Amino acid sequence: MSWNRIKNQLISKIITRYPSLAKRFVDAYTPWESEDIPWTPFSKPLSECTVAVVTTAGVHHRDQQPFNMADKDGDPSYRVIDGTKPVADLMITHDYYDHHDADKDINIVFPIERLQELAHEGFIGKLADHHYGFMGHITGPHIPTLINKNGPEVARLIKQDGVDVVLLTPG
Amino acid sequence: MGLVQREIERIGVPTIGVSIVRDYSVKVKPPRTVFLRWPFGHPLGEPYNIAQQRAVLAEAFRALCTIDKPGEIIDLPYRWRRERYDDKDISAILASCRSVRS
Repeated sequence: MSWNRIKNQLISKIITRYPSLAKRFVDAYTPWESEDIPWTPFSKPLSECTVAVVTTAGVHHRDQQPFNMADKDGDPSYRVIDGTKPVADLMITHDYYDHHDADKDINIVFPIERLQELAHEGFIGKLADHHYGFMGHITGPHIPTLINKNGPEVARLIKQDGVDVVLLTPG
Repeated sequence: MGLVQREIERIGVPTIGVSIVRDYSVKVKPPRTVFLRWPFGHPLGEPYNIAQQRAVLAEAFRALCTIDKPGEIIDLPYRWRRERYDDKDISAILASCRSVRS
């Protein structure tokens, strides 16, 4: 493993344990500033809705290509997550937050089992077959890629799947 | 996260995001957000704390049902530790947004 990856993982551990230090890293990162706010009214009863999850916590299946940790601007690609597979088949590749706890229980970043329970109890209609895993911490040239290509691509796939509601979770 | 959320909303699918960095949500402007002042890597809470994870989901769905102003951020009152989660309260929140509007 490169020194850079080790450094990033160490920083992510420190700022997770000492949240007061995290602010310095948050302030150092300049997020994209948007002008407009897209809006689709929510009008369907929740109990009839198909729900999909999109996470930027670096979640993917074990047999999928891990996110690229060598690129300092992050990896703007995504992985399709099969929601019918057991959670033991999932893993996390992401050096910019400490996923020690999420490795133990992935529901704290990708709440698939909790949502399955809510569907079973009838609070939500059902879970979509496909969910989507991104890696957060995207900077530089990858931001336009996310906004203009990979984001809209996933949006189209979700639309095609007949999903009614999307829950988004960070890392 | 917010950037992808915006593209999904733009294509016509309603979205709700869980945020742990309020400043990012303010700038990126996703359509609907619930915010928690919790550590990185823990948007739904602690490992195996099912009631806590359910509470966040319930609040997220309630926000989805109640937010009517694009870009609104709801600050959830839950402390990181020493918070008690009552399953009856969580179920009541979920039930309240079971069939809003028609």
